[in-house]
Amino acid sequence: MVAVTMELSLAVAADNLRPARLQMAFTLGFHIILACLGVGLPLLMLAAEWRYLKTGDLLWKTLARRWSKAFAVMFAIGAVTGTVLSFELGLLWPEFMGRWGAVIGLPFTMEGFAFFVEAIFAGIYLYGWDRLPKRVHWLTGWPVAISGFFSAFFVVTANSWMNAPAGFRLVEDKIIDVDPFAAMFNVATGAQVTHMIVAAYLVTGFSVASFYAVQLLKRVSAYDRRAFTLSLLLALPLVPVQMIVGDWSAKVVAKSQPVKLAAMEGIFDTTTRAPLHIGGIPNEKTKTTDFAIAIPGALSWMAYGDIDAEVTGLNDFPAEDIPPVAVVHIAFQIMVSIGGFMMLVALWCLVVFIKKRRWPESKAFLGTVVLLGPLSVIALEAGWVVTEVGRQPWIVQGYMRVSEAVTQAPGVWNVFYLTLAIYSVIGVATVSILRQLAKVPVVETSDGA
Amino acid sequence: MGPDDLLLLVMLVALTLYALLGGADFGAGVWEFTTALQSTDKQRQHIYKAIGPVWEANHVWLIFVLVILMNGFPVAFAALSRALWLPLLLALCGIVFRGAGYAFRSYSRGTGRELAMWESVFAIASTATPLFLGASVGAVASGQLAIAADGQYEASHLTGWMSSFAVFTGFYAVGMCAYLAAVYLAREAAVAKEDDLTQLWRQRSLSTGLWMGLLSIGGLAMVSIEAPTLAAGFAHRGWPLVVVSLACGIGSLIEVWRNNFLRAVIASSGAVAAVLWGWAVSQYPLIVPPTITSGVSKAPDNILWTMLVVITVGAVFLLPSLSYLFVLFKSNRQRPY
Ligand code: HDD
Ligand code: HEM
Ligand code: HEM
Repeated sequence: MVAVTMELSLAVAADNLRPARLQMAFTLGFHIILACLGVGLPLLMLAAEWRYLKTGDLLWKTLARRWSKAFAVMFAIGAVTGTVLSFELGLLWPEFMGRWGAVIGLPFTMEGFAFFVEAIFAGIYLYGWDRLPKRVHWLTGWPVAISGFFSAFFVVTANSWMNAPAGFRLVEDKIIDVDPFAAMFNVATGAQVTHMIVAAYLVTGFSVASFYAVQLLKRVSAYDRRAFTLSLLLALPLVPVQMIVGDWSAKVVAKSQPVKLAAMEGIFDTTTRAPLHIGGIPNEKTKTTDFAIAIPGALSWMAYGDIDAEVTGLNDFPAEDIPPVAVVHIAFQIMVSIGGFMMLVALWCLVVFIKKRRWPESKAFLGTVVLLGPLSVIALEAGWVVTEVGRQPWIVQGYMRVSEAVTQAPGVWNVFYLTLAIYSVIGVATVSILRQLAKVPVVETSDGA
Repeated sequence: MGPDDLLLLVMLVALTLYALLGGADFGAGVWEFTTALQSTDKQRQHIYKAIGPVWEANHVWLIFVLVILMNGFPVAFAALSRALWLPLLLALCGIVFRGAGYAFRSYSRGTGRELAMWESVFAIASTATPLFLGASVGAVASGQLAIAADGQYEASHLTGWMSSFAVFTGFYAVGMCAYLAAVYLAREAAVAKEDDLTQLWRQRSLSTGLWMGLLSIGGLAMVSIEAPTLAAGFAHRGWPLVVVSLACGIGSLIEVWRNNFLRAVIASSGAVAAVLWGWAVSQYPLIVPPTITSGVSKAPDNILWTMLVVITVGAVFLLPSLSYLFVLFKSNRQRPY
């Protein structure tokens, strides 16, 4: 009898694995876009309002005010989709939270405060335009930007712990000696947190710039040009930073999750002077990565700073510990190519600036920036796919498999379909409201927008 | 008092604040739902204006309760997630639609029909969310969740929260929200010197207040029949809070009657808080009856202490900010700058 129920529940668990993962991935992938804008937009608002305080030019105020409306919508949707995630950690992965909650929970508790401060000051900032003295109003925007930064910081430490668990000991399957700070600040934390926060600013800067580039292609106006310049000023300087931090991330992965590194690169055989694969499609049957351009030694150098270092290939890991190679490899290629493309655009700007002392304004440049908006979001999602799918089959690298963590509740597929439907409605509505906000004509009156 | 008790206390305070502040926001939506056909534009504006600046912050109390439970009492968090899978999912749907509906309603530049659509989404979701959260609380309080000592769940996903007691608490929660909102909105109207609105909300406070009084007495009767363990807890420890709740409830009605709306707000909050505290005190030290106590489910003591330190430090940032928000938007001195 017991054996039968055991088997039954294992069967349910196996059935739940796919929908639960899809559910988690989809809701996270949705939330992360809003979260990035929630982290980045306050900075843009503050910059525009600061220009207004300095110059008294009402156009800057209009800009800040309109951005604050877009932020308000993003923030509200970010908050509800984030609430979904908090519940989902328990609803979809009860075994994970029940077992590891004590170790991983502290950053979530801290994040609670960051949200709180953010929500409070978002209320003050958004509804305080006419109620507060100008300078005070500007100052109330700062806690929003700062706590957005810390939200991202705290929550990504939780994720980095899943990649590089630390801060506890296992004795006969019991967790003891829990050190929550050691768990928070594990070997993956520094690179992952930095990479994520920079990504949030990049996504915000490029998405906003992309919107105004479209406007500028239609008709040049002072308003659109200012918005465009300001948002590019946020994003472009961070592009080289992101490349360097990405490289740091890869070095961390090489150390803490070698199998993920091998999957990212599609390296099947252990080799010294390992090649960097550009492009290519890993074939899990023949165990080769086909059609790739290989740069000999480059991977060894990237991962270990030595072109002769040995990189362990996938074949030398147990088969049950290997993530879906093709997905991870392709996602990684996408992220890196987009990063490279951003770098080229940044160089383009730099060259024009050095030559002509001004921003490039050609149609070709504007058109390129239009592309960078969606591309930055794609890079963001691809990066997360590398991180999360690359960790498979583990939910806690080396300690708990996803299949051991999943809920045994019925109907997870139905929940997933329902979520798809609801989020589609919300996604469409959000975009449509943002478009309505954008269509309100810009008038330079004393009350801004 | 160990760190686990302190943390339970923090959680109870947060839950109470969620019930009072978030509850009033939900209640505003409940009113919008139940009076959709008769209310005028001005009445609607009054509702939206009242909750605009504060609802996001009020919502975070829920997140706060959740993360403390997750971190401090992981076994209870997992057990509740398993047992209340369905009502929590439904409440989540409500939360998503309420937040989205509110935001879209506030920022849409669309036609009247579009606004009306988001208004009704907001209104329906504001009613559904406390219904399912209330039923979840009722399911826990009733002790009818079939949870084994290791936190595993051994029944169908309808048991517990579909019991008559849990269904009752669901509706009771909706009523509480409506009652809180009516009293708060009466006060806001009085502060804004809107006489017709004040009259309207005064009347609504009185009638819901009376209804909630009757329901509370009915609820006590139900506890004694359907939730014997909880009833024993009430008889043993919780009864003073029941008395406080009734006294506050009656007091709030008298103050509304006399047009002392600030006092009425305080008294009605006291009435609702006392219900929650009565429940918590009566079931202590169980977190999820019948099996999961705080002792069974708590994280190691060093984690709990760390959390308490973090919470104290956080409070240093939080409390002044929160006071600033409420003083700015909810005090009597509402002068436009
Ligand atoms: C705008 C977005 C963006 C851009 C341009 C890049 N990345 Fe990235 N990357 C992310 C956005 C991102 C991310 C979505 O934010 C991830 C997912 C998890 C994380 O911490 O950051 C990520 C993860 C991630 C990881 C996996 C980390 C892990 O699993 O722990 C590596 C190795 C890199 N990145 C490397 C790079 C390199 C070498 C890039 C440059 C060429 C690069 N990324 C550009
Ligand atoms: C700090 C933030 C995050 C946390 C705590 C987190 C946590 C989790 C958890 C618990 C799972 C389920 C178990 C598993 O499959 O390993 C998961 C899976 C997944 N997550 Fe994340 N995640 C985070 C951020 C993200 C983001 C922003 C994305 C964006 C796309 C993402 C993409 C995915 C994907 C694709 C999966 C499924 C992997 C698979 O089944 O192959 N994650 N994550
Ligand atoms: C890398 C991943 C993530 C980042 C950068 C991030 C960041 C943010 C930010 C900045 C907000 C504020 C809302 C906004 O400004 O739009 C937010 C909201 C929220 N997030 Fe995330 N988040 C991430 C993943 C997660 C995960 C995995 C969870 C689940 C545990 C989560 C839970 C929440 C909650 C509960 C809220 C709402 C808080 C409120 O009510 O204000 N987030 N997130």
